[in-house]
Amino acid sequence: MTRARQLRALLPAALLVAVGIGGLLSLASDAAAASSSGLSSLNGAGTEGTAHSPVAPVQPPNTGTSNSSVKVYKHGRLVAYGNQAIRYSYPPTSYVPAGQALYEEFCSSCHGTEAAGSTRAPNLVGLGPATIDFWVTTGRMPAENQNAVEAPRKPAKLSDLQALEIAAFVNSLDPSEPAIPTVNTKGADLAVGAELFALNCAACHTITGAGDELAYSTSAPSLRAATPTQAAEAIRTGPANMPRFTGNLTDAQVRDVVAYVTEEIQHQSNPGGLALGGVGPVAEGFVALLFGVGGLALVGFWIGDRS
Amino acid sequence: MSDETHSARSPLPVASLDDPQLQIAARFPRRTENIIALNFLLGLLCVGAFGAAFWQNWAPWILGLTFGAGTFFLGFGLIAWGKYLMPQGPFVEERHVLASTEAERDSMAAAVLQRGTVVVRRRKLLGGLLAGGLGIFGIVAAFPLIRSLGPLPKTTLTKTNWRRGSLVVDANGRPVRRDELQPGGLLTVFPAGYETNEETQAVDQTVLIRAQTGDLVTEPGRGSWAPDGYVAYSKVCTHLGCPVGLYEQQLKLLVCPCHQSIFNILDGAVPKFGPAPRPLPQLPLYFDDSGYLRAQRGYDQPIGPGFWERS
Amino acid sequence: MTPTALRRPRTKREATAALGPYGRLGKAIGELDDRLGIAKGGRTFLDKIFPDHWSFMLGEIALYSFVILMVTGVYLTLYYVPSTAEVIYHGVYAPLRGQRVTEAYATTVNISFAVRGGLLMRQMHHWSADVFLGAIVIHMARIFFTGAFRKPRELNWTIGLTLLLLSLANGFIGYSLPDDLISGTGIRILYSIILSIPLLGSYLAFFIFGGPYPGNEIIPRLFIIHVLVLPAILAALIGGHLFLLVRQKHTQFPGKGKTEHNVVGSPMFPTFIAKTTGFFFMVTSVTALLGGLAQINPIWQFGQYRPAKISYAVQPDWYMGWLDGVLRIMPSWEFTGFGHTIPFEVFLPAVVFPGIIFTLCFGWPAIERLFTKDNEIHHLLDRPRDRPKRTAAGAAVAALLFTTFGASATDVLANFFHVSLNAVLWSFRVLVIVVPILVGVITWKICLELQHGGPDLGKRKRAMVVTRTAAGEYRAVPSEIRPGDEHRELEPVPVPALIDLDDGSLEVTAGNTRPDAEGVRRVIR
Repeated sequence: MTRARQLRALLPAALLVAVGIGGLLSLASDAAAASSSGLSSLNGAGTEGTAHSPVAPVQPPNTGTSNSSVKVYKHGRLVAYGNQAIRYSYPPTSYVPAGQALYEEFCSSCHGTEAAGSTRAPNLVGLGPATIDFWVTTGRMPAENQNAVEAPRKPAKLSDLQALEIAAFVNSLDPSEPAIPTVNTKGADLAVGAELFALNCAACHTITGAGDELAYSTSAPSLRAATPTQAAEAIRTGPANMPRFTGNLTDAQVRDVVAYVTEEIQHQSNPGGLALGGVGPVAEGFVALLFGVGGLALVGFWIGDRS
Repeated sequence: MSDETHSARSPLPVASLDDPQLQIAARFPRRTENIIALNFLLGLLCVGAFGAAFWQNWAPWILGLTFGAGTFFLGFGLIAWGKYLMPQGPFVEERHVLASTEAERDSMAAAVLQRGTVVVRRRKLLGGLLAGGLGIFGIVAAFPLIRSLGPLPKTTLTKTNWRRGSLVVDANGRPVRRDELQPGGLLTVFPAGYETNEETQAVDQTVLIRAQTGDLVTEPGRGSWAPDGYVAYSKVCTHLGCPVGLYEQQLKLLVCPCHQSIFNILDGAVPKFGPAPRPLPQLPLYFDDSGYLRAQRGYDQPIGPGFWERS
Repeated sequence: MTPTALRRPRTKREATAALGPYGRLGKAIGELDDRLGIAKGGRTFLDKIFPDHWSFMLGEIALYSFVILMVTGVYLTLYYVPSTAEVIYHGVYAPLRGQRVTEAYATTVNISFAVRGGLLMRQMHHWSADVFLGAIVIHMARIFFTGAFRKPRELNWTIGLTLLLLSLANGFIGYSLPDDLISGTGIRILYSIILSIPLLGSYLAFFIFGGPYPGNEIIPRLFIIHVLVLPAILAALIGGHLFLLVRQKHTQFPGKGKTEHNVVGSPMFPTFIAKTTGFFFMVTSVTALLGGLAQINPIWQFGQYRPAKISYAVQPDWYMGWLDGVLRIMPSWEFTGFGHTIPFEVFLPAVVFPGIIFTLCFGWPAIERLFTKDNEIHHLLDRPRDRPKRTAAGAAVAALLFTTFGASATDVLANFFHVSLNAVLWSFRVLVIVVPILVGVITWKICLELQHGGPDLGKRKRAMVVTRTAAGEYRAVPSEIRPGDEHRELEPVPVPALIDLDDGSLEVTAGNTRPDAEGVRRVIR
């Protein structure tokens, strides 16, 4: 081929490259030009918010403390507080002697005679009776394995009454909050409970409440066995690695979450058949491959030849 | 080679019923027939039951069971029929060579080359330009599909709605007061006015944690960022963007539920374990005169996962 | 007098006789043949031979699952609305009442609770998708380990792999359509993966999602891809896949009477049609039983997706598990420099790793040809043991994918076995390297062992029955052939064109015979 012909052959290729580069350049310089939908609303309209508060100073909402709730006194002592959603009550002082005896037998060897804790166990003073009640009624305490990272739920060794007695004793050393909650789930809004659960609880306990293993040998337990009182206690006291929800959730919100747990999580609607453990696609994949594909492969094995 | 050798001129072969390949596999054909018939009957009944259940809107497990059982029996019967009551074979079929003859291949190649050469040799320039045009057409044809789909990213990936003085509110719009969280508490927060906006929630979401003031390790330049132990980090994981909502209160760790990246909240959410590459960006906070928590300013870096333009 | 042939038939017997020896069926075939010329081709089609080995049925599982997907899918599209517009839920499921949810989620809950048969259809659709992909994978494994991808079937291998790739995508898109918490998290992860691509990532992400995450475009776009674009391509490719299978004919294992130049097995009509239709019913049966009895993807328990919500123990469906696993175990190597960031901890496992695997798969016929220098046409299959290197390589890759699949369940495994999550993760980092190597070496050794085991190794044996004669002597004789196995001992013959039904052992009905002068019914040739 002559040089002229070679050049003529290259012409279309050169045109192509030129247009391609031109297109890319215009695309890049588009950055300087027109706006795009939705961005202006993001960049422009932010509430600047100056030093003044946007709302008039409000009454502190009902947040599960005696400072913000209706209080009940007896002989000058606070015995209960709360509202329609949750009523917090302190165990009667008559429980203290029995509680002291139980404490010395079951708890003092690790937590110390003054409940101030030791190298093996944390301080219990000033945590409120709800804390003690939660750990004992769920059977986590007395702990079996003191070297475990977390004490797991197990069948309770002490009865509910005994748990209250110990709580009464420990609370008497330094009366604190929160008191034992009694949740009134009537009138609970399950939709709100579901939303709150998804936002605050599902990250550890999973959205179906099945529980799972967290980091460094800690775990979030299953919610299937929790009573309403235990659920409310856990939310308000934040046991072990669970965060404490005090001012960040009102009593009505806690009631909604507890109702959602006890009514929905614990009575999951499974109209589709076997729930397969509620762990999601892991179990489903297992079933699909083993029974679905495996079963059909067996049928194929029957239909066909074997050699 | 084609089937013309089996044309009507030569008679087609006839097989006898005694041929071994035509024998069926069942040893007791009558019994097998009865079993298959029973299966078909059961299948019929079950499928009919499915129809009734569907009409009556019964539970899914009844629908699935009847339909599944019905098709199972029908299928079982049909397979058994094919396997045990049909000629067992084996039968053979010749593979005809797929490839054409040399001569036919040559003529195909010749058709393309010779006719093509005749045209192109005389019209090379036209051919070249056509190729060029088609190529550009191909590229440009993709433009409506790609460019019209969405806007250019520009600065959207780097900005959130947190500004200087943004009021910190929870998902219901309630602001945060000093005594509301106790050490160990956790709250998902947004800038006021954006808490119900599902669009911006994705980038604005922030996790607020109260730690013991003494436990916090002050990063250089961040001394005032965490008043009274209140520390706020972007909730968007720097790995793949999942909300980092799992807080282990005693270990002081934020764990991302998706792929288990672990962040230490005491020293600036530095990743301790797992695939996340960067710390969670921290939001500087302060308490205003009324005691409400606000942001000193927005995040100092793009939140969330990495991308090319992130420097 | 008018000849008999031209006289109008007066009696029923005359009318039947006028139809010819094959009665109304023959007339119908004649009419069709006049218009379409189908008689010769039809006959050839009915004579088509299908080799009988059980492993050849695996592809049919996939095919029939696809049919079920289409049928149940059409049903679902009648009720599902692909929109992210917010509505207040007022339906049957109590915990959701009064909540603001998207239309996509609300209509999916509606299908599950309010539509007659809706939950069954939804669950059948989802189970069928899982089974579909499982079947594709084991079918592909069969093709690989028996060498059925060799010349002339490389194109079919390519089509099949494309089917796998598109089905993976369609499955992921499908379970993301309900816009629930778990699948929405998957979409967020998809967005970040696209974002991680160097140079183009942010542009691609914005184009695909129509803006910043989450936007309102992604659900409608995924919907149309899921119900129109991908199913159309899949259907066309499946058509091509089957066409090539018919044109090139099926492969077969070596055996009695089987050569490179024939196909031995059962004919299309009636045997294969009966078996395959029965198998279709079986696939439907298994899907229906799963769909009715085992719950899958209970989205009402998960709630509407919102970007600030998350759940623990979130895994994708099984066929995406391998990607989730590599994302979890990948160390956090991110490159930052020169004013740019390349998140290798995302880009490598989510883009490069699957890219390498699929390139390897697509290129395998060429790779193998490179090593074996084999350009011959192959219609006879290999037994896996006869190709130790190929089998070991395939086993190693399968083990790698299986390990990465296991790695996606780190938290579930840690929970189930009560071990530390961190320990499980580190174990998988080690296993993902060690296991494929081990499996490859062990497989190779096993193949070599099996090769020396003799020609009968692995074949179905006939039992030796010990009998005692009257004189007290013990003798061992082979047992009777199992029913259905006899035919393997016979010499294969061509499908008979005509069968002589005349020998009296068969009851024949009118239509294919007519009585002759002696009143004896005979077949008319």
